[in-house]
Amino acid sequence: MAQFISDRRDIDFVLHEQLEAGKLAEMNEDFEEFDKKTIDLIVSEVRTLAVKEILPTQKEGDEQGCTFKDGKVTTPESFKRLYKIFNEGEWLAMTESPEWGGQGMPRTISSVAAEYFNGANYPFMMYPGLTHGAGKIIEEFGTEKQKQLFLKNMFTGKWTGTMLLTEPNAGSDVGALTTSAKQNDDGTYSITGEKIFISSGDHDLTENIIHPVLARIEGAPEGTKGISLFLVPKYKVNDDGTLGDFNDVICTGIEHKLGIHSNSTCSLALGSKGDCVGTLIGEKNKGMKAMFLMMNEARLLVGFQGFSCATAAYMYAINYAKQRIQGKNLLEIMDTNAQSVSIIKHPDVRRQLMKMKVFVEGMRSLLYYVSYCSDMAAVAETEEEKQKFQGFVEILTPIAKGYVTDRSFEVCSQGMQVYGGYGYIEEYPMAQLLRDCRITMIYEGTNGIQAMDLLGRKLGLNKGKTVMDLFQEIQQTVIAAKEIAELKDYAEKIEKALNKFGEIAMHMGQTAMSEKVLSAFANAHPFQDATGDLVVAWMLLWRASIAAQKIEKAKKKDKPFYDGLIKSLQFFVETHLPITMGNLFALKNTSSAAIDIDDAAFAG
Amino acid sequence: MNIIVLIKQVPNTTKVKLDPITGSLIRKGIESIVNPDDLHALEAALTIKEKTKGKVTVISMGPNQAVDVLTHAMGMGADKAVLLCDTAFAGADTWATSLTLSKAIKKINDYDLVICGHQAIDGDTAQIGPQVADWLNISQATYVKDIETINNKEIIVKTWLENGFKRISCDLPALLTVISEINEPRYPNIEFMIQACLDKAPIKIWNAADIGVNTCDVGLEGSNTHVIKTFTPDFKRQNETLTGSKQESVSQLLERLKKSDTTIAHIF
Repeated sequence: MAQFISDRRDIDFVLHEQLEAGKLAEMNEDFEEFDKKTIDLIVSEVRTLAVKEILPTQKEGDEQGCTFKDGKVTTPESFKRLYKIFNEGEWLAMTESPEWGGQGMPRTISSVAAEYFNGANYPFMMYPGLTHGAGKIIEEFGTEKQKQLFLKNMFTGKWTGTMLLTEPNAGSDVGALTTSAKQNDDGTYSITGEKIFISSGDHDLTENIIHPVLARIEGAPEGTKGISLFLVPKYKVNDDGTLGDFNDVICTGIEHKLGIHSNSTCSLALGSKGDCVGTLIGEKNKGMKAMFLMMNEARLLVGFQGFSCATAAYMYAINYAKQRIQGKNLLEIMDTNAQSVSIIKHPDVRRQLMKMKVFVEGMRSLLYYVSYCSDMAAVAETEEEKQKFQGFVEILTPIAKGYVTDRSFEVCSQGMQVYGGYGYIEEYPMAQLLRDCRITMIYEGTNGIQAMDLLGRKLGLNKGKTVMDLFQEIQQTVIAAKEIAELKDYAEKIEKALNKFGEIAMHMGQTAMSEKVLSAFANAHPFQDATGDLVVAWMLLWRASIAAQKIEKAKKKDKPFYDGLIKSLQFFVETHLPITMGNLFALKNTSSAAIDIDDAAFAG
Repeated sequence: MNIIVLIKQVPNTTKVKLDPITGSLIRKGIESIVNPDDLHALEAALTIKEKTKGKVTVISMGPNQAVDVLTHAMGMGADKAVLLCDTAFAGADTWATSLTLSKAIKKINDYDLVICGHQAIDGDTAQIGPQVADWLNISQATYVKDIETINNKEIIVKTWLENGFKRISCDLPALLTVISEINEPRYPNIEFMIQACLDKAPIKIWNAADIGVNTCDVGLEGSNTHVIKTFTPDFKRQNETLTGSKQESVSQLLERLKKSDTTIAHIF
């Protein structure tokens, strides 16, 4: 029977054979409940819930969308029941402390839920997803009172959360925001301003919505150094936890978008009647630090959103290509009596499917690895080890967001191509996946911003130690793979690319600190591409190394799977790595053309 | 109100194929699930528990891997679970199965209600519930579609008939078999599920000695019925292509139909 959303076998491979997630239970008592048996049970339940309950709401949600009438936002009908089921299962705060209603699950394992749930309907998952992020801010920076009033109700899904950064003239440049905060006598703040593009900003799923809001306290410095963070509920919350009056957070409209129709993207007016009250969270003028905690988590989540579209597209494409009968086998094209075959038999369709397979597998391993690093940082016994894994999370975040969503969109596009004309019409799932996937390249910091983050901040993280540690990890996999006869050639080619990358990374880092800084950043995106390609190559080599060692003694049903992993590596090394190498050579030029060209030389 | 729920691990029959030679179910590689009607039984029990307090205990008979369905049940909110696992229980018919289950229930002793699904999707006998009630000598209501009221002494239920419904009052303790229309089973809660996976989880495993049965009374040895053969009916279609012009073909077809005494109504 066809699988939906994701390939369970590959997920099991990443969890148990690549990352050995069950061993986390032995490393730290906080994770001791999560042995292999428990992990498998969780994965099964996640898949069941995703396929049986969430997936059926995807198309309906897209078609109904959210509506805005008489100042109220209405979500698709099916979301009310689904949201109830989701919360009853307590899936929202899987990784959080039991003290606040979480299960303390390793992130490596919760990655499965991120993949399946988002793949089933990620616009729906944005409601609990943003709630989780907002809750994390309160957990990390909130006062005891703020935690008591808000946290449990958020982590149990009773209330939802959002993230209020963007304003009409402050998008990528958050420091330009104008929303203001004026301190009241009781220590609270009166908030005034307008926010736009607020995902899940208003809806009818819960009785209250908690907004972390970036605003500038009167008299605070300009730019990001004068930004503070406030907690602003839709309805005021009394000291005993009961709901108070409306807090003057008015939804003035929702956006009509290319995709993610079922998630409300709102414009919010704060304090337009002078009655919006918030409480400071964290320190004054340190709002960006607090918000970055949420943004970093949100960026990884967006990586999963994009990837989940890609894996779903791949699964649909595979199923379709096996069923769709069209055209004769190329070798029998002249035979008038030859029967038509399923399109998976056609070389070009196989190429498309192979490309999808390779990137889906590589990106799955990459995203789970980032989660794994987060767990390893949490259980690290030495400060050095903690810093190493935390550094990996940070340096890989722009890759997990920027690179993964870029590639995921390409995978969705390939999936549409496999469907041919049917892929372009809304009756089939590809159109929605492509549309929904597109925003992941834009929001939560455009992929251009991610590339700048990689080049400007992350490359030099811990004085360059983090990138060197990462190199070392990759090198270890390469060295081990060179000992496996059938992988030796591929490992050597990846090693060559790794060495070239090291040279280029040094060059880019130096250029970014020279008078050619603008040229460096004009090439940041292709540099991000190359970095992502290299990480994917590493993942594919790592996977193939395990497969090569297991294939001989593998069960009959596992042999094609393991062989497929080796073929994935072969395909990537033979068809894509040369492009990566070309990109690296081009980066050496660090072309200044895009900088040197006069504005007037562009059309218009 | 203490409630016992009987659940069974069954192969997901939507994915099961039959061996063309032996005619038996090919279970290898097929995922196992909780018998769907049993989930409705558990949901009914949990709903009653939420109103009346008390405990819900689930019992299943099967091999070691059947513990998975108990874990699932505890994930939904059951308080305790018992797996009846002994090689002596293998190959049981409904008589031996119901005896084994009833012995376990008698061992638990403290119960007001037993609920089970009206039948399992692999056996389709619908005999276990009534037989268990008989072994326990308690009242029973089958094909329950709705539980109207329940108190310490009696339960009033609505049961399904082919052409309507019947309201039944049963003295407690009683046994109910429920149909899928009774409710919508909840999904497991992840916290409950994780707790159910722990070594300290209240899942007990009882063998024949634990429930005080002679091995000759249970399993294959204690069964009164034995499966002689399982087979798939062979419905082979015979095709024949009529040749010639359309008119000739239709004439040939009509001629054949007349000879075979088949009417057009039969065809369509």
